[in-house]
Amino acid sequence: MQDVRDTSPQSEKQSEKQPGTGPGTRPDARPGTPSGARRRVRAGSRAGSRSGEGADFRGPATAPVLAAGAASVLAVAGLAWAAGAAQWLTHPGFRAWQTICVAITLQALPFLVLGTMVSGAVNAFVPERVFSRVLPRRPALAVPVASVAGVVLPGCECASVPVAGSLVRRGVTPAAAFAFLLSAPAVNPVVLASTAVAFPGSPEMVAARLVASLAVSAAMGWLWLRFGRAEWLRMPSRHTGHRHGHRRWEEFRLGFQHDFLHAGGFLVLGAMAAATFNVAVPGSVLDAFSGSPWLSVLFLAGLAIVLAVCSEADAFVAASLTGFSPTARLAFMVVGPMVDVKLVALQAGTFGRAFALRFSAATAVVAVAASSLAGWWLL
Amino acid sequence: MRRTFQAVLLILAGAGVLRVSLFGDIALRYVKQGLQPYLVASGIALCALGAIGARRDGLPFPARRQEGGAEDREAAPVHGHDHTRGPRAAWLLLPPALLLLLNAPPALGSYTAARDSPQLVVEYESFAPLPASGPVPLSLTEFIARVQQEERQSLQGRTVVLQGFVTPGEDGTWRLARLLISCCAADAQSLAVTVHGVTAPPADTWVTVTGTWHPDGALGTTSAALALDAAAVDRIPEPPLPYVDRPPAAG
Repeated sequence: MQDVRDTSPQSEKQSEKQPGTGPGTRPDARPGTPSGARRRVRAGSRAGSRSGEGADFRGPATAPVLAAGAASVLAVAGLAWAAGAAQWLTHPGFRAWQTICVAITLQALPFLVLGTMVSGAVNAFVPERVFSRVLPRRPALAVPVASVAGVVLPGCECASVPVAGSLVRRGVTPAAAFAFLLSAPAVNPVVLASTAVAFPGSPEMVAARLVASLAVSAAMGWLWLRFGRAEWLRMPSRHTGHRHGHRRWEEFRLGFQHDFLHAGGFLVLGAMAAATFNVAVPGSVLDAFSGSPWLSVLFLAGLAIVLAVCSEADAFVAASLTGFSPTARLAFMVVGPMVDVKLVALQAGTFGRAFALRFSAATAVVAVAASSLAGWWLL
Repeated sequence: MRRTFQAVLLILAGAGVLRVSLFGDIALRYVKQGLQPYLVASGIALCALGAIGARRDGLPFPARRQEGGAEDREAAPVHGHDHTRGPRAAWLLLPPALLLLLNAPPALGSYTAARDSPQLVVEYESFAPLPASGPVPLSLTEFIARVQQEERQSLQGRTVVLQGFVTPGEDGTWRLARLLISCCAADAQSLAVTVHGVTAPPADTWVTVTGTWHPDGALGTTSAALALDAAAVDRIPEPPLPYVDRPPAAG
């Protein structure tokens, strides 16, 4: 569902984008060369709304070439690993890097599977009107309700962006949708459970994460009510959830498959970055930051933005950053699910770049402040 | 990523997870033992969903012939946006999956233990009395705690047996080390005891060391050296639980 794809006729973006010329300018856009046959059929079924895109074309086949190239490179790399071909591949530091990388991925995997299964099920089996019905009419009241509603909807941040988009499109006040967008990946039961597992014997870390994340999401909702401007928003125009006439189980399966693979890929990326950090960065550099309470909070908040670890796994990464104060690690876990490079890209695709940059910058500031306060209070 | 590749990737990831969790204890090099059942469940779920996907959407290699069948199914996009093309980030799952299947990385060892990290030993409330005679098998944690915390100095003059892996130090010195994890290998903390009197075996060899406390500093205080005068060093196979600090088996 991260395939950012604005098919509304009024979107000027669509007309600018040349179909079939590989990755577009939008972040995370997919290469636009699926098989012409598939496109033709789909365009036929929805001819009215996407006649411009439905033309049968066979542009330069960049996507299959890229995919084949990537597959062969990876296969060669895998064989090289298996054979232990080169000296540096068996260097103990590189092996330790691999071990840590695999360890973080494996540790997070059950949570990722559970989270994407539940979010796929919610997507396929829970009607969206349930969400809009439970919200109060007054926006200022709807914001905290939406924040708390995020607690009961498991899913990682990649899943919450399109859900929030569809809420906005269905007429939920944007402020409430944004509060939900921020709180859902940070405070749902799967994430809280993984936090409890990652920090055994310190339930105050779970409490601090819950309190700080709820505070940030509500604060951002109210900030949007006060300062937000509708013109920053490019209203999303897609569906999420069950659609009439489609088999729910098939929707569930495809939703799971897509979300798991997407989030799993980013999880591996985060694990690689974290393992690099773990193996390559000497302890003295960490000491320079971890020594100062303020610098360490800012440093780990920045690290959370760059590492972009899935919220279901970030507690384990935070737990591994043993040199840092609990408050700094809390900042890592509060900022991570709300602002990171991958989320900014997703939001830019769903809500527009003007929105995503302003919103993420403000969220990062509020999240650092809230986690500092919560850390000072609870940890 | 084509949907047909997605099914293959799910199966590969699931198979990799099952290989290290269900068909062996390799997963214990990376994570705590308590996670193993969840890994098995995740691996089965991934394999099952991948198999259903492969059945529904076909496999990538005979894809040409099956495309006619796939068209009908994909005629209507499921969420109004397109799920037939998966995210490109998903390719990143392939290297770890292949790594687990073909050449699982070893448990962390001397490379990690040699890097600076604090030696964390919990405060012991009290120490059980040592057996009256003979060499005493101790976990590294308990040995360090007794050396630096025990006021009764019951280690004075006693022979102990410790196990761990060899971590070379500078100038030919070496340490007997263990790594402990609280969650996964990324948060490993090291414990180490310097060994005197025996030349260093190769790095990462697992050994038991029989010896007495190396008298340096005041035993039972933090000034006591974490060191051992070794009488014998014996090679042992790598234990199945590399991150669980246990005393060596008696005898």
